[in-house]
Amino acid sequence: MEIDLKVKLAIYEHFAASGRRPSLNDIAARVGAAVPQVRESFRRLREQRVLVLEEDAETIRMAPPFSGIPTQHRVSAAGVSYYANCAWDALGIPAALRQPATVHSRCERSLEPLELAVTDRGPEAADWVFHCLVPASQWWNDIVFT
Amino acid sequence: MLFFRSEERVREWCSAAGYPLRPVVRMDQLWELAREWYSTRLQPESRRPQPAEMRQIFGRLGLVGDFWDPQSDAFGTSE
Repeated sequence: MEIDLKVKLAIYEHFAASGRRPSLNDIAARVGAAVPQVRESFRRLREQRVLVLEEDAETIRMAPPFSGIPTQHRVSAAGVSYYANCAWDALGIPAALRQPATVHSRCERSLEPLELAVTDRGPEAADWVFHCLVPASQWWNDIVFT
Repeated sequence: MLFFRSEERVREWCSAAGYPLRPVVRMDQLWELAREWYSTRLQPESRRPQPAEMRQIFGRLGLVGDFWDPQSDAFGTSE
């Protein structure tokens, strides 16, 4: 298996198991590669829009749907707590884990809390809605804002 | 990309902040988007949908028009 695929899978396995972002060293140890080699792999994965990195180019900000930092969109599943990058990704986490989950978020206008049960058939019936300000053609111009 | 209690709350939020009102997506549509993007994300064969596939997915869910077109130039330059 090529290094980038090993690194990508190791990152996602770490997020799925712990809900937290792995460090460069965590991934190097996990895949049995040198840190500079894994740093280069992180760079390539960023170019492919698989990862979003912090300014240091080695700390993971996003491995969508997972967020490396706390956000207003939290997901709990099988006793693990996760942060999602956005509302879309909040449903993306149970989809990726293929496990029942509860999404905890809020209405951005009223701040009313949202607690939404999700199974493999999707979210429970809810008349909440999703809104995205940024057109699809612009999403990656500033993916953190999107 | 945010949740709102209702379409009325979206309108209020956009108006208060001076943002344009965009198409509102139902939760069942959002679940289908989440599944299409992420259901294989932990698998070796996973890959992000490319523009043509994105257009198909959006179209299947009734999300059409320039806003949902990943290659539209109606909103300025994309990266």
